[in-house]
Parts: sequence; C-alpha cells; structure tokens
Amino acid sequence: MTIHLWQAFLIGVVYYLGQMGSPWVSLAGTHTIMRPLVNGALVGLIMGDPVKGTIYGAAIQLPFLAWIGAGGSVPMDTALAGTLGTALGMASNVSPSVAITLAVPISLIGTMIWVLHMTVDITFVHMADAAAEKGNLSRINFLHVWPPQITMFIFSVVPAMLASYFGAGPVKAVIGSLNGTPLHVLTVIGGILPALGIAMNLRAMNGKGTLVFFLLGFMIAVYSKLPILPIAVFAVIVAYIYTTLFLKNGSENA
Amino acid sequence: MSEKVTDVEKQELPSENKKDAVRLTKREVVRSFWRWTFFSHANYNYERLQATGVIHALSPVFKHLYGNDEAQMKEALQRHMQFFNTEPHFGGAILGMTIAMEEEKANGAPITSETINGLKTGLMGPLAGIGDTLWQGTLIPILLSFTIGFASKGNILMGPVLFAVLHLAIIWGIGYWSWMQGYNLGKEGIAKVLQGSLLPTVMTFAQSMGPIVIGALSATFVKVSSPLKFHLGKSMMKVQSGILDKLVLGLLPLLITLLAYYLLKRKFKPTTVLLILVIVGLVGGIFYII
Repeated sequence: MTIHLWQAFLIGVVYYLGQMGSPWVSLAGTHTIMRPLVNGALVGLIMGDPVKGTIYGAAIQLPFLAWIGAGGSVPMDTALAGTLGTALGMASNVSPSVAITLAVPISLIGTMIWVLHMTVDITFVHMADAAAEKGNLSRINFLHVWPPQITMFIFSVVPAMLASYFGAGPVKAVIGSLNGTPLHVLTVIGGILPALGIAMNLRAMNGKGTLVFFLLGFMIAVYSKLPILPIAVFAVIVAYIYTTLFLKNGSENA
Repeated sequence: MSEKVTDVEKQELPSENKKDAVRLTKREVVRSFWRWTFFSHANYNYERLQATGVIHALSPVFKHLYGNDEAQMKEALQRHMQFFNTEPHFGGAILGMTIAMEEEKANGAPITSETINGLKTGLMGPLAGIGDTLWQGTLIPILLSFTIGFASKGNILMGPVLFAVLHLAIIWGIGYWSWMQGYNLGKEGIAKVLQGSLLPTVMTFAQSMGPIVIGALSATFVKVSSPLKFHLGKSMMKVQSGILDKLVLGLLPLLITLLAYYLLKRKFKPTTVLLILVIVGLVGGIFYII
C-alpha cells in the first residue's frame, strides 16, 4: 500500500490536532486524538481502511496505557507514535506488534517537536508582555492563538507528512542510526525533563516547609510504590492535621 | 463566625453603592469557560505556561469590567501575564474564582493584584496534582483499558468512538461544573475569604498538600538511574543497585528535581534550567553515567 501526498498531508494534520495545545478540538479533544487508539483509527480512515487502522492503533496504544503529560512536560509523543506507527505499519504491511517497535522510538523522537514549540512560544509571551503594557487585549489574544499555532502546524505537519510519504524505509534508517548512544541519550533526557515541570510547580507553591512536604511525598511513593491516588489521600490527611495545628498556633501568637 | 460575616457585609455595602455597579452576566462567565476549554494551551510555553491562555479566556470578563477604563485594563492584563499552570478542567475552579474576584475588584472591593495572584498560584499546584491524577492518571487509563479490547478486534464504535465520547462528556462536564462552582463560591465567599480565616486555611492546606502530591509525582515521572558498574576484585559492583538504592531509593531523580528547584529559586529562567538539564542528560548519557 503506498501513501499518496494528500494522504500524508492529512496524516500530518491528524498529528497536529493531537498535539497538546492545538485548540481546534479543545484540550480534552487533543488528549483524545493523541491516543494511538483514536489517531490509529483516523489514519486508517485516511488510508481507506479504518478497521485495520483501529487494530494497529489499539496495539500501539498498549505501551502508552499509563502515559501522562503533566506540568509542562511530555515524556513521550504518543500522537506521533500512533499516527506514524499506524501509517507505516499499514503501508509496509507488517504485523501490529512490529508497528509497536517502530512506534516507541518514534514517540521519543517526537518529544523534540514538543520541546521546540514550547521554547519558540516564549517569544510570543514576551510580545504579549509589551501588548499588556499598552492595555491591548486583542493583540494578546491574537498572539496567544495565531503565531504559536502556525508555528506548531508547520513543526508538526511537515515531519509527519514527510515521514509517512517517504515510508518506513527512511524512518527505520533514521531510527537505526540513532540506535545505541543517541537513543540512550534521548531516553535519559526524556527521563530528566519532567523534573523541570515538577520544580516549577513546587516553586509556584512557595509555602512554608514546601521541601519537607515534597520529600515526604517522594519518599512515600518511592518506598511504598503506591499509586498517586492513595498518596493524595494521605496528603489530604497530613495537610488537614498541619493546617489545624499551624493555624491554631498562629492565632494563639496573635 | 457568622456575626463577623454580617459585619463585613455591612461595611462593604456602602462602598459598593458609591460606584456604578458593573455586574457580569452568566454569558461572560460561560463564554470564558468555553474559551478556556478550547484555547488554554494554544500558546503553552516553558516560561509562563498558560499565562496568555488565562487572558485569552477571561477576555469577555475584562472587556465587560474594564472596557471603558484603560488604566484598569492595563493593570488587569499585566496582573495575569504571570506564570500560571494547572490542570485546566479541575483547575477551572481557580479561574471561576478569579472572575468573581475581578468582578468584586471592579466594584470597589479592596482586592489587590497580589491577592488575586496569590490565590491563583496557591491553588494551581494542588488542583493540577489532583486534576492530572484523576484525569490522565485514572480516568483515561480506565477508559482506554475498557475500550482497547474492542478496538484490537477492529470494533470502531466500541473502541475509539466510545472512548472519545465518554472522555469528552466526562471531562467537559467536570470542567463546566468546576468553573461555575468556582465562580459562585468566589462571589458568595470573597468577603468571607478576605476577612475571615478561610484564605489562610485554604492556602496553608494547599501549600502542604500540593508538595506531597508533587513529591509522589516526581518519584513516578522523573526517571534517572546509573548503569555504571566496576570490578571489585572478583565481584562486580553495580552503582545503582549496590550503592545508590541502599542509600536512598530514587536518590538520582530526587537530586535532579532538587537541582531544578534550586536553580529556579536562584531566579534562573525556566528555559535556562531546561538547557542545564538537557546538558546534564547529554553529558551523563554519552558517558553512560546515567
């Protein structure tokens, strides 16, 4: 099965719509389309076989079941993994499980697109600062939507379109050439970067004893291996006790 | 407690009557919600994350309240250009409250920019922690594991379509509820919150609960380990399992997170910190230290 240029372009558009931040389907919408389960079906539809696309998408979804992007970091680009994995898998007629091995390294490379657009967008924030000083609301609204979205459209559509048009061969070659140290470095960086989002969140809290509470949560999670939800319940209890005691002491002093 | 509140209301009424009341209608509040739901992350970036998204969302409110007052409009825009980042659906309550505070402020209540931003920053972390956990960490995996079985057999309707419909319905429902709840709470409670002990209580609660959840998130998301090993006579010593794990589990992720936190506290720009982290990963990765 060959992929025509218009199909490659549409696959690129599906990838763009599944990029966190593309506003046209809402944030929850991008979080729907970024799942390989969904974008696999859409790519299948573009390639004329939505059923097959759904099957590929479901397979590629598996390693990303518990994927989470929070605090400004996206550890893996599941939208690129799903769209390209399905397109290349269907085009080269490999089994869905082979498509998975293609999709996982793609998801790591895709995070570079995210880092690029998160960095470029900073320019528009500084332009918005200038507009805020002049009280120009409509200019901020323009800067918020159009420049970042046009940039992101190009950053997303072009690589996804080229990769699906030129097919699995070159993509495999690129991934093959990255194998070994480059892929290791990408994985290491992918593992470190969430620290920034977490640190920014922590910095924003800026309360008394922030680091002590942070350490408590970290240690509970590391040693108990409990999921986040029960830890959040513990956090509520600790916060309740602390707030009660802290404010009681505070009012006694006053 | 209740006596205090009525006192406050009595004090505030005259000052409100002095100014021409500018009241928001449900239309502006709901329009802001939809703008936020669609455009919150349109200009997402490493420096201030959702800052311009807040202004874009609250535009109908700003236009209504400050449309005829250039000075106040400038002040409002600069106020909200501050760093903001939360989970947009659960965290919508924060912006609902912000709208209520802006409305009170426009009507002469003694609310400063610092109070509004204090509330925003105080609540954004905890609500992001809770929201992302419930949404991306719980709801989505549950919906996915329910529909993926159908999808792997090629069932489009019970697979991707059902996932999309359930996901959007639940998350938009929560988002709308949270937004309106925040606005109503803000409207009723602002005087109470400002004068009474509720604000410090909420802030202290949020500032202690938030970091705990973030600590747990950090343990889950930051993944650093060392592949280093060296020979000690006959035996092989693995740095990660033989030394680091015996000291403190998760020592490297903890150190990396604390490094990022320390740098931010020293007023390094997030982009600079990002660069430093990438260099750490690059150097550590090339030499297989991490």
